[in-house]
Amino acid sequence: MEPVLSVRGLAKHFTMHTIDGREVTALRGVDLDVRAGEHVALAGTSGAGKSSLLRCVYRTYVPSAGHVWFRTAGGAVTDLAALPDAAVGDLRGHEIGYVSQFLRAEPRRAVLDIVARAGVGRGMDRAVARDAAAAALRRVGIAENLWAMHATVLSGGQKQRVNLAAGTISPPRLLLLDEPVSALDPANRESVLDMIADLEEAGVAVLSVFHDLDAMERLATRVVVLADGRVAAEGAPGDVLRDELEVAR
Amino acid sequence: MTTAVARTSADTADPPAEPGWALRVRELGRIYGDPGPESLPGTGPEHDTAISPRTGAVVGAWDVSFDVAPGEALGLIGESGSGKSTVMRCVAGDERATAGSVHLRSVPGDTVRMSDAERRRLRVDQIAVVYQDPAAGLNLDISAGGNVAEPLTAAGRRRFADIRSRASELLERTEVPLARMDDPVRTFSGGMRQRVQIAKALANRPPVLLLDEPTTGLDASVAAGVLDLLRGLLEETGVAAVVVSHDFGVIEMLTRRVLVMKHGRVVESGLTDQLLEDPQHPYSQRLVAAARG
Repeated sequence: MEPVLSVRGLAKHFTMHTIDGREVTALRGVDLDVRAGEHVALAGTSGAGKSSLLRCVYRTYVPSAGHVWFRTAGGAVTDLAALPDAAVGDLRGHEIGYVSQFLRAEPRRAVLDIVARAGVGRGMDRAVARDAAAAALRRVGIAENLWAMHATVLSGGQKQRVNLAAGTISPPRLLLLDEPVSALDPANRESVLDMIADLEEAGVAVLSVFHDLDAMERLATRVVVLADGRVAAEGAPGDVLRDELEVAR
Repeated sequence: MTTAVARTSADTADPPAEPGWALRVRELGRIYGDPGPESLPGTGPEHDTAISPRTGAVVGAWDVSFDVAPGEALGLIGESGSGKSTVMRCVAGDERATAGSVHLRSVPGDTVRMSDAERRRLRVDQIAVVYQDPAAGLNLDISAGGNVAEPLTAAGRRRFADIRSRASELLERTEVPLARMDDPVRTFSGGMRQRVQIAKALANRPPVLLLDEPTTGLDASVAAGVLDLLRGLLEETGVAAVVVSHDFGVIEMLTRRVLVMKHGRVVESGLTDQLLEDPQHPYSQRLVAAARG
């Protein structure tokens, strides 16, 4: 099966013009494939380049070199690293979902509206999107009495679940997850992990960063270990994670 | 960086129709003073000035190109004097560009080359503007309803009841109390005036909407209400919008893509989140750093 996402030679350097043009390198040539229904988890120490990789794929960061090949629903293969901004914007709405660890919520917007809006972005009819949003919020355990509240007043864990509901209202082809359960209590963590497992079964290609190794071992079909902006190891979660733990000890 | 001036007489043909844009701006330029090619060298961000060292002309904008799709909002950001409002006024038809072209999907021809009368006609139902100062877009001495009725009448509506009902519908949507519909706009607060201006702009459902610093000068809480209204309207109407602002909060909330301008030139363009998280140009980095504190 052809990969949904195929990263080749991806590099990312930052030039900090406000700090005497200092250069910082986050990625030094990463190769990586993710197929439909496959969950590739990125592991590695903090600063290894995990979040930078997700952000380069989503184009929140501008890749410095390399290719980010993405197979669209129509079967075309396009390089996200070189695609015009407007076209990336369209793919984000329809085919690529991103849930970030940063718990930012849109100001002064009701929870249900945030999630429904994401559905409209995916091409749903407004009324259909509201029903789908309600279903998505139930799935992540956001109680109905919170739906009309502004998301900014919610707790960190609630905001994270609202972000997840918005990111998964209709299954994208590619889902990027940056520490999606980091702010959740154990019960909610379990239900969110189950939801991610369901998406994988439904054929979504997932590329993730998890802080917690249990979650990674349970969900990932493959683990890619990054070190200093490069792929250092790759394999089945059990093997790679055991090695990682050895190193950590 | 291009410095060729003579684009005015060439390529008068319309661009081929392709879906995906409602507004198309190509190589737009506006020079105040001597419009000749000798006014360009020595201007722009790399020279840190928009004033020509040779002719003293001010290069308000040069080589600005962008498309805006239906339902999309594009931001223009930069400090005052960067040229963002110049671009907006040239697109709106308030000023005539020195070079380049402006096409609307809904109208054949380049609006830069249209007569003043034709350009005014576009403002009835093809392209609407919300100005920072409501006095620029409204007649303060007539009623809110009267202001909103003006474009409706200009578009050929004749029946009073019909005009009245569309005006109330618009004022209701922009959250202007209908009890005040017949009061002169001069008696309205700043935020309420801005809402009337927005209602007027949307009267004939134009496919293109230009917003020039729409919340600048309003109290924070009032500005927030107007922003929320605009966000909802942009999402509902499918209008193609250009949002000019120096405020990253406004740009972040309303736009998907953004152009950064300095000394009349575009120094960077990108997705809005990309500009905020990974600005490329030194000037963009300084702007973002200043805004983020």
